[in-house]
Amino acid sequence: MLAAEFTDFMQQVVSGLASGGIYALLALALVIIHRSTGVINFAQGEMATLSAYIAWALIVHHSWSYWPAFAATLVISFVGGIGIHTAIIRPVERGSVLRIVIVTIGLLVAINGFVVWQWSGEPQQLQSPFGTDVYDVGGVVVAAHDIGTITVALGIVLLLGALFRFTKVGLALRAAAVNPEEARLVGVRVSWMLGLGWGLAALLGAVAGMLTAPTVGLDPNMMAAVLIYSFAAAVLGGIDSPIGAVVGGLLIGVLLNMLSFLSQYGMFDWFTEELRLPMALLLILVVLLVRPQGILGRPEVKRV
Amino acid sequence: MTPREQRIFGFVVFAAFAVFVLVLPQFISDFRARDYAYVGIYLIALLGLNILTGYTGQISLGHGAFMAIGGYTTAILMAGNEQFGGPIPSGVQDIWTLPVAGLVAGLVGLAFGLPALRLSGLYLALATFAVAVAMPSTVKRFEEYTGGGQGIQLFGLPELTGSNAVASGEDFSAPATFELLGLTFTQNDWMYYLAWSIALVAFAGAWLILRGRTGRAFRAVRDSETAAVSSGVSLARYKTLAFGISAAYAGVAGGLFAIASAFVNPDTFPIALSIFLLVGIVVGGLGGLSGLVVGAIFVAFLPLWAQGQDLGSVLPDSVIQGDTISIPILGDFLFKGTSAPGGPAIVYGIVLILLMFVLPNGVGGLFRRIGQLITNRRYSRAK
Amino acid sequence: MTRRRSVVLAAIGAALAVTLPAAFAGSAADPGISPTSIVIGGTSPLTGPAASYASVARGANAYFQFVNSRGGVDKRKIEYRIVDDAYNPAQTVQAVRRLVEQDRVFAVFNTLGTESNLAIRDYLNQVRVPQLFVASGATTWGRDAAKYPWTIGFQPSYAAEGLVYGQYIARARKKAKVAVLFQNDDYGKDLLASLKLGLGRSGSKVVAAEPYQVTSSDVGSQVAKLKASGANVFCIFATPTFAIQAYVFANRLGWKPLVVLNAVSGTSNIMVLASEGGKNKLVEGTITTTVLKDPTDPRWHNDAGMKQYRALLARYAKGANPNDVYHVYGMAVGYETVSLLRRLGANPTRTALMSRARSISSAKNPFLLPGVSVKTGKGDNFPIQQGQLQRWTKGRFVPVGGLWASKRN
Repeated sequence: MLAAEFTDFMQQVVSGLASGGIYALLALALVIIHRSTGVINFAQGEMATLSAYIAWALIVHHSWSYWPAFAATLVISFVGGIGIHTAIIRPVERGSVLRIVIVTIGLLVAINGFVVWQWSGEPQQLQSPFGTDVYDVGGVVVAAHDIGTITVALGIVLLLGALFRFTKVGLALRAAAVNPEEARLVGVRVSWMLGLGWGLAALLGAVAGMLTAPTVGLDPNMMAAVLIYSFAAAVLGGIDSPIGAVVGGLLIGVLLNMLSFLSQYGMFDWFTEELRLPMALLLILVVLLVRPQGILGRPEVKRV
Repeated sequence: MTPREQRIFGFVVFAAFAVFVLVLPQFISDFRARDYAYVGIYLIALLGLNILTGYTGQISLGHGAFMAIGGYTTAILMAGNEQFGGPIPSGVQDIWTLPVAGLVAGLVGLAFGLPALRLSGLYLALATFAVAVAMPSTVKRFEEYTGGGQGIQLFGLPELTGSNAVASGEDFSAPATFELLGLTFTQNDWMYYLAWSIALVAFAGAWLILRGRTGRAFRAVRDSETAAVSSGVSLARYKTLAFGISAAYAGVAGGLFAIASAFVNPDTFPIALSIFLLVGIVVGGLGGLSGLVVGAIFVAFLPLWAQGQDLGSVLPDSVIQGDTISIPILGDFLFKGTSAPGGPAIVYGIVLILLMFVLPNGVGGLFRRIGQLITNRRYSRAK
Repeated sequence: MTRRRSVVLAAIGAALAVTLPAAFAGSAADPGISPTSIVIGGTSPLTGPAASYASVARGANAYFQFVNSRGGVDKRKIEYRIVDDAYNPAQTVQAVRRLVEQDRVFAVFNTLGTESNLAIRDYLNQVRVPQLFVASGATTWGRDAAKYPWTIGFQPSYAAEGLVYGQYIARARKKAKVAVLFQNDDYGKDLLASLKLGLGRSGSKVVAAEPYQVTSSDVGSQVAKLKASGANVFCIFATPTFAIQAYVFANRLGWKPLVVLNAVSGTSNIMVLASEGGKNKLVEGTITTTVLKDPTDPRWHNDAGMKQYRALLARYAKGANPNDVYHVYGMAVGYETVSLLRRLGANPTRTALMSRARSISSAKNPFLLPGVSVKTGKGDNFPIQQGQLQRWTKGRFVPVGGLWASKRN
């Protein structure tokens, strides 16, 4: 009997990791844009959704096969991200934080509207690059897609780490974000670097979108819920830390499933399904208050 | 202008505006009065938010949550929650719930202001955003107090002023009238005068708060926290105070919103509301009061206006007639007009972005520049 | 233009005379009725998370335009104003008051969503404006007709639907163990409660029920818990996106129950999506119920009603996806509205509209399944109380048994 319960428990952990992998991917995109431009992009989720729809349109309406469509979507998203920065973000970059926040919210609303307008609000299906195989590990079922998602997230962390640490572009990206004036003095083309940051974030968002859609279903609002959990993940891990975003995402996924699982056995019996989202957000508040730099971030040094 | 002249000028403009507000219903249809009642309600919320964000520099993406607290306070005091198994009986007349709504929201705001002390800039925006997002689910969780997803119905309750109004004649959907204090009101006019009398008082109140010591302290916190502290301003005190005042304003607005809709449920205070409010103060102009009237009009009417726009009208005829344009990848692109699903959102989003481009300082900034132009001309003439 | 009324503020009021347009005197027509037009209106979510339901309003509008092209109803063209409410009841209230007080519509029609309709019901009944064919399956529209005479529903209630599933499971499986995934609101809870009622004392029972919030990102955790309950019947009472997820997760877990899916999601296009290109075998054998002709079903390929449906949609709702069954719903409700208006004769009034709406007997709606009738009468305030159970078999729905009819709601 206990064995059966342990299996159920592990299944909940696996299911939490699967959700967490999704939160982690979008959180990575949030982290990269914050790290390279200092902005929190509220439109990140909708940009990812649009990318997923582009991949879907290529496959369904233009009969492309999966991988070319995947690659083309990455390119389009990267260019699109730079385009968004040039056309929409740059004009307000020097203004108050609030203006940028509102511009990204405007972008969120417009992209969401556009997706519904062009492809209607009906759900669609996007295939997984990892297939639909599942593995049975001692009664606990693990899906190939979920393993793939988490692996990709970790792979991205390594790539980003290498980019920021070992390449000149990475250094310039960081310099442009941390201190644009001094970066300009030493010859960094700051606006190019900020654009590049947006391009990278859009590209990561495209990966997030294409890996999220097979699980939650391709839908104009598929990222609305994910985005909020991803905010929580990014803050929990430290909003400038790629590895923190992944750890934060997985932690949140597992933690919420644990609460829900244990509430069946009388522990945390105040927890009901309604509290899933509020709990994640409470976590944001607590982390921000106790350790604003997140579990894996470095404290921010305030300049006077 | 000397400061004294400025004050007199400001007072004259305010008085003229108050008279305008008083007579406006005579020149518009009965229903329009209802539309403008919402403008008054939004104005109250925007005044509060601007005290916090515009004057004290603390971004709140969660003011809809404070409106929800006010709205639910009003609704629960009016209808009670015994029907859901809660402890509170019905029976408080709508207007008397408003001070309570303001007080409850204000206290929650003060309480929230304390932890918020440690946060600034985008982090505070995120934290407040989290509060607003979590609000609807939390309301559903405590169903015995709030009625859960079904919400609380206020229409027809004796506690709702004017609910006994009757239309004269055959058409029951014609404006109905009732008597109060010896005056005859229609429901919509009543809502209008209720909202606007409170809005004008709130406006004057905000002005009084901001012109004195407190206002100076707020601005000092906004401009530089370090400088503020070194000149003896207590950050903790003024930041929490700003949160409290601001939330109280939102609470009153939320209470009025509940009265005007005669219904509350968790979906009536969505995250979009919090965002609209922030947009409202940016459009109106951060750190100014008069522009907020325009901001409130914007919040009340833009979503409606966005529905009426036909994207087709700016495009060639061949395109409007349902012709398709093939765009690589996106597929055949059909111009359906903005009444098609998704259309209003496109217009709304684009307008939002464009406004941030063309009005970096909001309408208030525009007002100030016009004011400066006039002043400059006067001075140059004097020379 | 409208009758000016006002607050008589002694100082100002005296100067501004209240005017009563003479035009109103002598004309007995209700608002919204002119010699050339009938104006009706309703809200629908054009933006936000529920925007996919806007297809209902588009389908209805396409049918009205077709009727208008044939001369309208008694030479009056039907003008249907669709207003966005973003699925927010506060916006519904303001939009509906605008329709009634400013646009002066004859009736409020086909407004979508349970909470939105609850928010406006007391108001519309006070001002005696018909709240016609509410687009929601809550039981209250029919059950509380005596208290709210100006409100009438359309589709079968969720309660009737849940009951039918319960009775089917009790018949089809001995001692079934039923697991339920339901949306955590009235719609989900109505279905769950009536499912239990339908199972009755049959020996089959609900062994696990897991709610999900509309703000959830996925239902993986819930499905895993339901599987762990050891159930052999899986009821999915969820909107399309979450229903598809439920299939995907259950399949990944290797769970092979009989699936019962609620009608909101039980459409061919959703089944095709859930089958993941044929890899998800769980979809096969799914039981659901419907009243509408499925636009993708080859059975209706040469059906006159569905031919008309496709032609009208192509002509009057450009760019709309004909496979989206919500459009069929819209046309079905549009058809009933037109026949109702035709029965009002030359001088339509709101009172007459409601009294006719309480005595409908229509058996030939071309967009509903053959045999499904739209019927109301004394003591019967539920327009549609029938349905057809169907099973997803090899890529299409096959009827199971005859039409069911619900006595209690």
